[in-house]
Amino acid sequence: MQISTFARRAGTTALISSALFALSHPAKANKELDTLSKQNTNWVMQTKDYSSTHFSEMYDINVTNVKNLKVAWSFSTGVLNGHEGGPLVVDGIMYVHTPYPNNVFAIDLKEPGKILWQYKPKQNPAARAVACCDVVNRGLAYAPGGKDYPATIFQNQLDGHVVAINAKTGELLWKLENSDIAMGSTLTVAPFVAKDKVIVGSSGAELGVRGYATAYNIKDGKQAWRVYATGPDEDIKLAKDFNSANPHYGQFGLGLKTWEGDAWKIGGGTNWGWYAFDPDLDMLYYGSGNPAPWNETMRPGDNKWTMTIWGRDINTGEAKFGYQKTPHDEWDYAGVNYMGLSEQMVDGKMTKLLTHPDRNGLVYTLNRENGSLVNAFKIDDTVNWVKKVDLKTGLPERDPEYSTHMDHQAKGICPSAMGYHNQGIESYDPNQKLFFMGTNHICMDWEPFMLPYRAGQFFVGATLNMYPGPKGTLGQVKAMNSVTGEFAWEKPEKFAVWGGTMATAGDLLFYGTLDGYIKALNSKTGEELWKFKLPSGVIGHPITYKQDGKQYVAIYYGVGGWPGVGLVFDLQDPTAGLGAVGAFKELAHYTQQGGGVMVFAL
Amino acid sequence: MRHTLYLLSIACLLSGAALADETALKVCTATDEMPYSNEKGEGFENKLAQLLGTELKRKVETVYWQDPRYFIRDFLDKGLCDVVIGVDVDDPRVSTTKPYYRSGYVFISRTADNLDVQNWDSAALKKAQKIAFVPATPAEVMLKAIGRYNELFNYQQELVGYKSKRNEYVKYDTPKLVSEVSSGHAELAVLWGPAAARYVKESTVPLTMTLIPDNNKRADGEKVGFHYSSAMAVRKGNDVLLKQLNQVIEQKKDAITEILTAEGIPLVTE
Repeated sequence: MQISTFARRAGTTALISSALFALSHPAKANKELDTLSKQNTNWVMQTKDYSSTHFSEMYDINVTNVKNLKVAWSFSTGVLNGHEGGPLVVDGIMYVHTPYPNNVFAIDLKEPGKILWQYKPKQNPAARAVACCDVVNRGLAYAPGGKDYPATIFQNQLDGHVVAINAKTGELLWKLENSDIAMGSTLTVAPFVAKDKVIVGSSGAELGVRGYATAYNIKDGKQAWRVYATGPDEDIKLAKDFNSANPHYGQFGLGLKTWEGDAWKIGGGTNWGWYAFDPDLDMLYYGSGNPAPWNETMRPGDNKWTMTIWGRDINTGEAKFGYQKTPHDEWDYAGVNYMGLSEQMVDGKMTKLLTHPDRNGLVYTLNRENGSLVNAFKIDDTVNWVKKVDLKTGLPERDPEYSTHMDHQAKGICPSAMGYHNQGIESYDPNQKLFFMGTNHICMDWEPFMLPYRAGQFFVGATLNMYPGPKGTLGQVKAMNSVTGEFAWEKPEKFAVWGGTMATAGDLLFYGTLDGYIKALNSKTGEELWKFKLPSGVIGHPITYKQDGKQYVAIYYGVGGWPGVGLVFDLQDPTAGLGAVGAFKELAHYTQQGGGVMVFAL
Repeated sequence: MRHTLYLLSIACLLSGAALADETALKVCTATDEMPYSNEKGEGFENKLAQLLGTELKRKVETVYWQDPRYFIRDFLDKGLCDVVIGVDVDDPRVSTTKPYYRSGYVFISRTADNLDVQNWDSAALKKAQKIAFVPATPAEVMLKAIGRYNELFNYQQELVGYKSKRNEYVKYDTPKLVSEVSSGHAELAVLWGPAAARYVKESTVPLTMTLIPDNNKRADGEKVGFHYSSAMAVRKGNDVLLKQLNQVIEQKKDAITEILTAEGIPLVTE
């Protein structure tokens, strides 16, 4: 009975999306990649599809039978650091990546465990010291073969290199340097393929890197465009009509004017999170991160365009809109997170939307054609640095009590510097019109110190202590309607849900937990239907694919990243790892390091 | 009982202070803050502590701390140790003695380069690719004033292996900063003279150390001090010991100066 409901509904969705496809896809987009992303057999992007729905139409595994899900096979990567992101599946091959040293394995899905090829790059080990929060990597990207290039796997490497690898043979096609570790810049972001380009971000805002995003040509790695988050308008690449629909967001000259002197040169605003792409509008969406240096007293002003949601033309890189969520950040609420595209009714009109759960604890929904704010609400009612966002001005109304000035000790700031939502990829079920989000529920105390030492020196700094939020656990999973701001359900988790979620038409929501469970919930109710304890904690996201007519679910295990930094480096001081060690000290009692992929089937 | 002891020690002091005190002089000492002090006693403040012990006729007990952010709060104020050998005069956290020396920040360059760097207006400062300095010192203020701070930000991070100052004490190692210049990695270093002197002297590549004049101003006209007077310190209210230290500083001026000059510290007068 229930199965037929899935079938009917899924069928309708498929119809709608193919209709949309026919209408809105001229020869522009990387059409084949778009097509592949809609096939159940494949999982060709970290974000599943250009809209970053992380939603599969498959319902072979569903609420009635998920309890029978069992391990089908597994694969150890041989690397023990935190495994972020997820594997890709393209036409019977699974592409598995690892954190530094950034190895890649192509695994035959007909004979699981058989390695078709492997790529083990030689990197500058100095990169390890430069990376702030473990040596993670958020995954690979795939481009189908084109006129003048074969099917290609793209990988960003910690030491700043980008490589293109022949997807069939593992042969290196090209390699280029995107970031210089001598300048504090590393690469942890996953590449993103759109049209004939691969988009690469940057990391290292804390170290004075001026954030940039770069588009390279798929075929030869030649730079197509590069855009910065700060500085002169021509470097940021603002379109002539930039923010013309919302001039109150700010328009021209602000990448210089909102900084003291030339501090924009070291102003941060890197982007190491996720992208989304609208092939109809030819627009790329992503977020720039926190301003630098972290001590806000050193950088008066709004610090534009850090902490900004960008809508850019994929062909030129030009920004059509930019909305700064947290002007003059004081908390390290780097806004690089998930960008989820949906089409929903707003004021009686079907509207192209972009939804973004920010590290600052707010969920923003914008009209993705012009950047107009549709809604902004707290992801949890315990968010306290801000009272609300004024939808007219777009500005947050701050609570000065939770400011982090160097002369102000603040207790119980929610969220902590880790944010209520960090790097996880989330999911959107178009049938239920619900976004599902794995969150952190972590708050912090901020204690500045400014102690004289000698000869006019001052040690200026602050101690951060992080701990579970008011609801008592470190994480939550939530289902919400982004237009109304209503929550369908929420489920507490003992630890942060760091890696994100995956939804399916089987009315299921899958995710991994830091203590090493993969779980399946009923996505309508939040009821837990199945779980399995993995060899190590999870900071990546689940995926699903079909092989020889059977649906599989796969996920990386391998605890680490920022929350696991205490385990990875065996740190004891509770304020170490920027306060993460204290918050997650319990974790060591539940899991230890590991690294691999685990695959499940009925 | 405590009152009696207190009275007794005052009595000792009044009677000429020449009597040997049986209790040890507990000196707050860094385990590794060279060239000031270390556990092996190699620093010049280790030597000054020994001089104090000899003069006060008390055995010196070294009490070690590791974190300069907190040693006043966690060691001196808690009574774990009683004397701090080097602080800025009038440091508000403690009671300081009269200054026993005054020195300044210095420019350090390779002698062979023959750089003309006398003050913050010098062209060499604008031309240098790399200038090693310690953040949150007057050098930072002036590097901002001459527009070099942002360009040097990455280098400044590289010097400490990209450690963030948030949530931890990030130590800028003076010998390393001096060796940046001697190795040719940086053209210049701006350091506190007393901290750099020993390493400039020891360098196999001849280095030139130039005292920075004390006439610098910020954009808003406020003075940026480059010369500072150093004093010893005791816990607030420990007037008896303070008086004893002042006596030693006064009577043993030459011996103190000899230790400082042997170190190569450039001394200036007020």
